[in-house]
Amino acid sequence: MGTTVLIVDDSKLARIVVGKTIAALQPDWIRVEAGNADEALALIENQAVDLAVLDFNMPGRDGLDLAEELRARFPDMPIAVATANVQDEIMARARAANAAFIPKPVTEDGMRGFISGAALRLRSAGQ
Amino acid sequence: MTDTVDPAIRRDNRGAAADLDALRALAGPLFDALVGSGMAISVTDPRQADDPIVFVNAAFEGLTGYEAAEAVGRNCRFLQSDDTDPETVAKIAKALATTGTASADLLNARRDGATFWNRLNITTVRDASGAPAFRIATQMDVSADYRDEDLGRDLRATRQRLLEAKERLRIAQAVAGAAGAWEWDIARGRVIADPRFATLYGLDPVEAEQGLPTSAFFDTVYAADRLRLKIAVAGALNGAEVFARDYRVVVDGDVRWVSARGRTFLDADEQPVRFSGVLADITDQKRVEERLRIAQSAGGVGTFQYLSGFGTVDVSEEFCRLLGLHPAASLPVRTINALVHPDDPPLISALGDAPIGAAFHEFRVQRADDGLERWLACRGEHQLAPTGGISFIGVIYDITATKHSEARLRALAAALEERAEVTQQERDRVWNLSRDLLSISDRDGVYRAINPAWKDLLGYDAADLVGLPMGGLVHPDDKLHAQQQTAGLRAGDMVADFDCRVLAKDGEYRWINWTAVPEGGFIYAVGRDVTQRKALEDQLRQSQKMEAVGQLTGGLAHDFNNMLTGILGGIDMVRRRIGEGRMADAERFLDAAMQSGQRAAALTHRLLAFSRRQSLDSRPLDVRDLVASMEDLLRRTLGEQVRLESEVADDVWTALADDNQLESAILNLAINARDAMPRGGRLTIAARNVQLSAARLAKSDRAEPGDYVEISVSDTGLGMTPDVLGKVFDPFFTTKPLGQGTGLGLSMIYGFVQQSRGHIEIESREGAGTTIRLFLPRHLGEADEANDTHEVAAHAGAGETVLVVEDDPAVRLLVVQVLEELGYRAIETEGGRDANPILQSARSIDLMISDVGLPGLNGRQLAEIARESRPALPILFMTGYAEQASEQSAFLDEGMEIITKPFAIDQLARRIGAILERTKP
Amino acid sequence: MSIQSIFLEELERDALTELVNIGVSRAASSLRKMVGDQVLLSVPSVEVVTREGAATLIRERESGELVAVRQDFEGVFSGRALLIFPQVNSMALVHAVTGGALSEGEATEMEDEALTETGNVVLNSCLATMANMLQKPLQMSLPEVMRGDGASLFNLSAKHAEGGVVLFLYINFAINDRDIRGYIAMLMDLPSLQALRTLINDFIERVAGDVG
Repeated sequence: MGTTVLIVDDSKLARIVVGKTIAALQPDWIRVEAGNADEALALIENQAVDLAVLDFNMPGRDGLDLAEELRARFPDMPIAVATANVQDEIMARARAANAAFIPKPVTEDGMRGFISGAALRLRSAGQ
Repeated sequence: MTDTVDPAIRRDNRGAAADLDALRALAGPLFDALVGSGMAISVTDPRQADDPIVFVNAAFEGLTGYEAAEAVGRNCRFLQSDDTDPETVAKIAKALATTGTASADLLNARRDGATFWNRLNITTVRDASGAPAFRIATQMDVSADYRDEDLGRDLRATRQRLLEAKERLRIAQAVAGAAGAWEWDIARGRVIADPRFATLYGLDPVEAEQGLPTSAFFDTVYAADRLRLKIAVAGALNGAEVFARDYRVVVDGDVRWVSARGRTFLDADEQPVRFSGVLADITDQKRVEERLRIAQSAGGVGTFQYLSGFGTVDVSEEFCRLLGLHPAASLPVRTINALVHPDDPPLISALGDAPIGAAFHEFRVQRADDGLERWLACRGEHQLAPTGGISFIGVIYDITATKHSEARLRALAAALEERAEVTQQERDRVWNLSRDLLSISDRDGVYRAINPAWKDLLGYDAADLVGLPMGGLVHPDDKLHAQQQTAGLRAGDMVADFDCRVLAKDGEYRWINWTAVPEGGFIYAVGRDVTQRKALEDQLRQSQKMEAVGQLTGGLAHDFNNMLTGILGGIDMVRRRIGEGRMADAERFLDAAMQSGQRAAALTHRLLAFSRRQSLDSRPLDVRDLVASMEDLLRRTLGEQVRLESEVADDVWTALADDNQLESAILNLAINARDAMPRGGRLTIAARNVQLSAARLAKSDRAEPGDYVEISVSDTGLGMTPDVLGKVFDPFFTTKPLGQGTGLGLSMIYGFVQQSRGHIEIESREGAGTTIRLFLPRHLGEADEANDTHEVAAHAGAGETVLVVEDDPAVRLLVVQVLEELGYRAIETEGGRDANPILQSARSIDLMISDVGLPGLNGRQLAEIARESRPALPILFMTGYAEQASEQSAFLDEGMEIITKPFAIDQLARRIGAILERTKP
Repeated sequence: MSIQSIFLEELERDALTELVNIGVSRAASSLRKMVGDQVLLSVPSVEVVTREGAATLIRERESGELVAVRQDFEGVFSGRALLIFPQVNSMALVHAVTGGALSEGEATEMEDEALTETGNVVLNSCLATMANMLQKPLQMSLPEVMRGDGASLFNLSAKHAEGGVVLFLYINFAINDRDIRGYIAMLMDLPSLQALRTLINDFIERVAGDVG
């Protein structure tokens, strides 16, 4: 069974960049995308998702709201919030939702910690 | 005394006593005194395999717990513990290999396993041949200094960091020259500054080099500027990239303006770690700037500076005001030109093919704020910029009133022409009320009438002047030019915008801008007082000079720092890669460092050429070859319109000059000539032998009567007026753009010829072309043996001894390394104090390589001293920038040569090889 | 300009300039990561001008059509941040940020998309860093692409429109070797300015004690 990563961002370019970065780190992972929180929640109904990378600033519900909701439903799912909004307050809220914080622009270096940590957790949970 | 020593020797049962006698013979009574001093001493013998201990004293036994018998015969490393820092050990070994002395703190272990910090001081005793015979080490327990292991580690780390920071600063300073540099270690909260910074700030230079609390950055700052500086620094410490502040410091009651330019360096996590920059004294510049600012707004003169290729122009506030724009320090070219009347030339045009030299044009603008149309004049100068490209610096001013009076003048002339149609009153109104000088002269240029403005401005009544010829009041320096203008008027030409100085009744000269028309047997002239504008232009030029100085010391030093960061960063990366054993991509970083280095070198050369202090490498030079080799390049430069002819005599002598400089001089002259022949023509480059007499050289400072090689560049172009001719070598020459192709280029050629002890002549007539003759001194002797050094392959040494004198450890290390790799023996010294005893000794030395700028005795003085005892010793000087060395033939005696820093390793190797080859018996 | 001194003391202007400097440096570093090229910044300029004045300042510098990504912010102080560049640079910037990720055709198709995301990253980095320095949170709106001349870019929404004067901050930037230049600009209305002033004074006090 492959690992599926959900990428939620209203910007298609951002989804491409995040997707490319993950592909470089974990080429085998399956990537699914959603353009906002509602789409993401609808997608989860039909498809198993192992981890999620969420944009913060989106139309409708923002990425932290989505993270909190996902967290309530999947207590162990690795979640990251990716944003250029590096305010201390945002970072603190992400931490409170037990989500990793990835500063935008997303780079391999910025993403590596979260992805390898998530891979490890998923593997040990799978065993 | 022997009693205290003997037991130790007796305990040494391995028969080292014979060695010790040898040691005593070399080291003298001092050794016994040391042994008995209570200080722990060990002696090793580097001539034996693995440098074994041959002696320890009782204090050593007490310190380490080992008995002499256990210690003797082993290498000192048996004292090392598991935690001994291998880097320190390596450093000691390296220091011993190069200088023979070493000092370091090493974590050692006693016999019982307890560790202690051992402060080692090792010195080498050499035998008669100079080879190491013994190493004497003193040891001292300094564990107290390291009581806390963490503290110890920190201390070492700090010391290391300090050393690195100091080194970076020192290099930056050496390259940047005049500017002071600082380095702010953000984590440690320390500021390290170089001596120049310390001087500017009134700090103790030694303490500043070792690092000061950060408050030192603010303490001597003028109180009113302090908080503003703190705010700017706070920005930099929190990650702001751009730091640029001008502020005042008070040292001994003296207030100076300084300009600080800096930048913050981030670590991999984007956290600021280092904030460094350079500081320059701009007191003089500020003073001029302020005067200029006041004068500009009072005189309605706006200044600008534009560098080719840029989209924006640096402008003054008054510049903006004249165009009706908001005050700004820079404006886009597009915005400026958009205001210019579509039928007029743009204010700023692309500089691609602008001739170097003065430029003037007039144009109309529609002011951005009130939409009014105004006439402006732009007067400026195109120069080669020190950083490459062409700069256009100049002023603009409103000439609407002049334009109007021009129109009025025409009206007046017309009115006088048709007396019948104009009332006396109307005519008088213009005549009497004008603030401009109005005059009517007859066809011969004799004043017939002048208006009352002459009285107001210059103090003359009509009675003073009427009946006298025009031009009698003109300043002698402007007279020639004025006569030409008058001649033109007589021939029916109009005069527009002609400036000359006119003597007022009170004996002062005033600058008057003239417009004049010949009309119906009379000459009507209008003159406007532009003295203030002229004064401004002078001040502007002065401020440009100051700015150039400021740039050299401030902005460019900053560029250097960036390049240095590239170099040091690259080297640092390589060191890490080597440390980690990852050689694969080390090359890449070396390339990057090399590139930065080359860029820095190119920049230095450009700067030195600009400031005309480039070190000239005068060599015997075959002019014939040089001209022939340039023909292709010249043809391409001149284009199809200009025919190139070369007339070099077959028997032309060998000249003595710098070939690169001569090449660039000829090229410059050819380009000037091309520009003077817009419709094509013929350019002739000739060379022949001449003898110059004292009479002919009367105007030359440096040349002496004798044999010269004359190189001439002639064109069939526009030529120059005598007036322009007199000024062409003035670097800040600005008059009307009559003489094409004049400016900085010619003044640089002049500088080169002067430095070469040659002579330059220029011959030109308007419409009849220009010939410039360079006279370079004849070289008596064989042509060009020195040039061979270019081809000589790095020559392998055969153990020749080379004395290296260089205070910069990095350069010294490099030179010594090259020497050793090539098979020479290097003796390393830091300056006259170390080098002199060696020069006075009997040691054989085959070559001395010395820096020119040394602390204390300089390299040249040291060479004098060396030559007293060793008259035939070949000497190679290294110099980065040395005014005394800028003319090599005068600086160098027989057997002395010079190499300019930065140099490639190969280049150094070849020079050393060639010198030693030549001096071989 | 006497109007300046009424609203901001020299020190306050200095402090604000530095805050912007810090924020913009962070923004430049983000942009640098996106385009993989050096981004050069000018010294920030801070002025109190009328809204028309702000438009004039930009118009005098840029006579052509402009593209801007705008983001409004709200909190203790509020206003609008803009990433502005000439329309002619737009595609070059899109190419620079999309680099290898997109084909030529895709890049053209996604021009506004790419501009929005670039503006989002650059402006967010800048504003968030400033908010952190001032120790007060800010809410940022969704970024939006605007086209037009200076005047249309600076019409604040009706909500902010009461004051005749605005605080106008701008910084030139240029991307090395790509011939792309532009501005990061910020406008704040008057009530915001007073709140900002208090925060700036706190910042000055921290600095006065903090450094040296």
